[in-house]
Amino acid sequence: MLEVFIFATLNGLVTGFLLFMLASGLTLIFSMMGVLNFAHASFYMLGAYFAYSLSLYFGFWGGLIFAPLIVGVLGALVERYGLRKVHASGHVAELVFTFGLAFLIEEAIQFFWGRDTKNYQTPDLLDFPLFTLFGQEFSAYRGFMMAISIAIFIALYYVLTKSRVGIIIQAAITHPQTVSNLGHNVPLIFMGVFGMGTALAGLAGVIAGPVLTTFPGMAAVLGSIVFVIVVIGGLGSLAGAFIASLLIGLLQSYAIASDVGMPDLLNLLGISFDRSHPLNDLWTMNLPQIAPVLPYLLLVLVLIFRPTGLLGKREE
Amino acid sequence: MALLKKSSIWIAFLIALLGLPLVFDSILAISILNQMVIAIVFALSYNMLLGQGGMLSFGHAVYFGLGGFLSVHALILIEFETMVFSILWIPLIGGLFGLLAGIFIGSFSTHKAGTVFAMISLGIGELIAASSLIFSSFFGGEAGISGDRTFGPMFFGFDFAQNIEIYYVAAVWAFIATLFMYLFTQTPAGRMANAVRDNPERAEFIGYSSRKVRFISFCASGLFAGIAGGLFALNYEFITEENLNAATSGRVLLMAYIGGLGYFIGPIIGAVVLTLMNSLLSNYSELWMLYLGIMFLLTVMYLPRGFAGFIMMHQIAWIRGNMKLLIKPYIITAIPALLFTLCAIALIEMSHIEDEVFHYLGLELNPASPITWIVILAVAGGAFYAVKRSLVQLNDAWETANAIPKEEEA
Amino acid sequence: MAILSLKDVKKNFGITEIIRGVSLDIVEGEKHAIIGPNGAGKSTLFHLISGRYNVTAGSICFKGQQIENKPPYEIARMGLARSFQVTNIFQRMSVFENIRCALFWSKGYGYSFWHLLGQQTELNDEAMHVLDQIGLADRAKFPSGELAYAELRALELGVAISSGSELIMLDEPVAGMSHSEAQKAVELIRKITEGKTLIMVEHDMNIIFDVADRISVLVYGEIIATDEPTKIRANSKVQEAYLGEVHSA
Repeated sequence: MLEVFIFATLNGLVTGFLLFMLASGLTLIFSMMGVLNFAHASFYMLGAYFAYSLSLYFGFWGGLIFAPLIVGVLGALVERYGLRKVHASGHVAELVFTFGLAFLIEEAIQFFWGRDTKNYQTPDLLDFPLFTLFGQEFSAYRGFMMAISIAIFIALYYVLTKSRVGIIIQAAITHPQTVSNLGHNVPLIFMGVFGMGTALAGLAGVIAGPVLTTFPGMAAVLGSIVFVIVVIGGLGSLAGAFIASLLIGLLQSYAIASDVGMPDLLNLLGISFDRSHPLNDLWTMNLPQIAPVLPYLLLVLVLIFRPTGLLGKREE
Repeated sequence: MALLKKSSIWIAFLIALLGLPLVFDSILAISILNQMVIAIVFALSYNMLLGQGGMLSFGHAVYFGLGGFLSVHALILIEFETMVFSILWIPLIGGLFGLLAGIFIGSFSTHKAGTVFAMISLGIGELIAASSLIFSSFFGGEAGISGDRTFGPMFFGFDFAQNIEIYYVAAVWAFIATLFMYLFTQTPAGRMANAVRDNPERAEFIGYSSRKVRFISFCASGLFAGIAGGLFALNYEFITEENLNAATSGRVLLMAYIGGLGYFIGPIIGAVVLTLMNSLLSNYSELWMLYLGIMFLLTVMYLPRGFAGFIMMHQIAWIRGNMKLLIKPYIITAIPALLFTLCAIALIEMSHIEDEVFHYLGLELNPASPITWIVILAVAGGAFYAVKRSLVQLNDAWETANAIPKEEEA
Repeated sequence: MAILSLKDVKKNFGITEIIRGVSLDIVEGEKHAIIGPNGAGKSTLFHLISGRYNVTAGSICFKGQQIENKPPYEIARMGLARSFQVTNIFQRMSVFENIRCALFWSKGYGYSFWHLLGQQTELNDEAMHVLDQIGLADRAKFPSGELAYAELRALELGVAISSGSELIMLDEPVAGMSHSEAQKAVELIRKITEGKTLIMVEHDMNIIFDVADRISVLVYGEIIATDEPTKIRANSKVQEAYLGEVHSA
């Protein structure tokens, strides 16, 4: 029991930190431009594919460094030549634009790389068990994923709160006009932040690709979840996104690891149903089965009872 | 007189719906027509939300899908004679269930529009799509459920085994649904939906609860999406989880947006164009989804009001009788633009193709030869330059055609 | 007989007190102006009365019923209409549609989805009549988002008055207009509020002294005086707090 719990926690944390790498970029972009970037997970997918292709020539570590940069540049270009143009037509148009972009990126990836799953592997260097607990191994690569994510989290925190650039970014989010009057190039800052956010997503893709498999549907798998996280955390709140990332990561991990379900609950209550009962699916439902549904359930509940999310302040 | 003019449009629409299968009578054409009328009802129901009511939904397929599932279940019940009625009424069952789902989900999701509504719709869409895989005795799991439409009482000797018979059923239903959706826009509730879309706050100060106005549009939209789902069930006789998941929700958003949200006819145009592209283009190229994605992004960027908006842009020039000024510049721009598009498609297809010869527009191109690439690239570059040059002229012509005449200014 | 009465109304935003205990009786049929320096809380007071904000403390009675913290639409249905300082209309609808929507509730259409608007002759005539009154009849089919500024302000007024409410609240109706436009607007306000109660926030003193029967002076969230225009002019407290500031500005 304890070993299940510890491994579920560790895996949940790995997922949670990975999710935060995506959610942080999405949150930054939202607080800056007021638009939820539907294509954010697509940049994550691009990161994985670029890293895969680069790793064929330069090895895993080459991909790790260059793929996020390429994705960041692509993101900046999208902001400069796409999103900025649509901005005039309002938020709905922007949201629809990023939605279309997500669609297009998925198609483009199938065009360039094909529909099949890519054999993107963890580097040999990290192909050993980091430690063994209760006879179960925890791979070094997962440890590496966690280390990178935490490093990014700390770096992001410092850049935003301590550095000059970070302070200008924070100011540009709340008072773009004033910052512009002070002689800073606000459109450039916006483009930079969009590029940085997408680069972070790309990095998440690079390190997640080998574990979560690199295939054209990988953006769709994570995309909605990341959305759920930034909304649950409170739109525009980095701290909220952090809490929500870990929450969702752990929640799913625990749900999958546990093997309790409705039958256990019914046994506890001393109720039993015939197999042929029309609601049989309901009575035999178990937690691992509904794990994928949990984030969305949480989202709907949060939005109904606390539309601003956990830590959000923004009232529409 | 105005009534006559209005009703003549509707009569023309009905004649077009009923007459089309006489002109295009191949099996493929009938199947496309069937998809088209279903798509029209679905896209129009989506427009009630986004275009008329300002609610951006990423989960509209839920109502379509639930209506469809209930309809297939109804077909099964008819087959086993648990219920006895003509399958003509199946879309009504779909609609009723879409309405019920709309009432239930709308009761808590229409509190706000904007991002919150969009996110709730996304969450509910994912929730229901994922749940449908869990409750497999009702939704049939990955495989879905299927029925048979040839049971139940006959209707004047028709048993609806043929697709063409179902087409006429669907066309009549589509006509009725379209008419009612149009009439809805002409009622106080429909007008207030526009008002709440534009300015929910002010609507409250003229006596209307924005939430209740949204709720009414939302329920109506669920009803018509459910009818579309019922038509789908009749046409295909099966339905799967795919029909209520995010991909279907996304497709209807694309249709309505490309067609033009602000206009009643917009989603109809979108539904027709996209169904045609889907059915025809997919025969020629497996990359058609890529083209669709590019087209969609270009539409959002350059035609924010869709095809219908583009047509309506010419209203002023039309009224002033200046359309003739625009024809020549349009043609001058269109020719190189078309050439450029064709070259771009050729390049995309050539980089994807594995055969040694690429048959394109009656030409035989060799993808392996660099000369082919250079020539096409050169033509594309030239065409692009010509488009850029001619746009200046087109712009001037546009200004002249829309300019306010001197006497009006004074 | 007071049609609207405020008792010790307070409003805080966080720890900041914006309205610090306002009591005020508006007599039926009077034209009442609220003046005060910028940031005194005039617009906030309007938002409290019309239901856009909830009060922190105190009570507001309209026609003998408590209305504080009711949603705006319920207050509007009772016969209280308002305009906004920043034009706030249905910008993608035509001028005519704006007015017609404003008429729906008072004409008893409610949330009807069974009346076809084309057949509601009386309603449509009434909407045209309002357009005539505010001088926008020739703009009926114009998209309202594309009107000129003075026309927009007229439409803003029109939307506020078409509900036939007994109490009309106008927030800076002539702000930003040229002198001649303002003159026309004042005539219009006079005409359309005939026999009704009017509360108005305005900065232009000439207009206020011209239109108002009584004036309340709001300074830092408190009403320091309510009286007839001539007496307000002579009130030393007011001169010190407000008019003096205007002269020095």
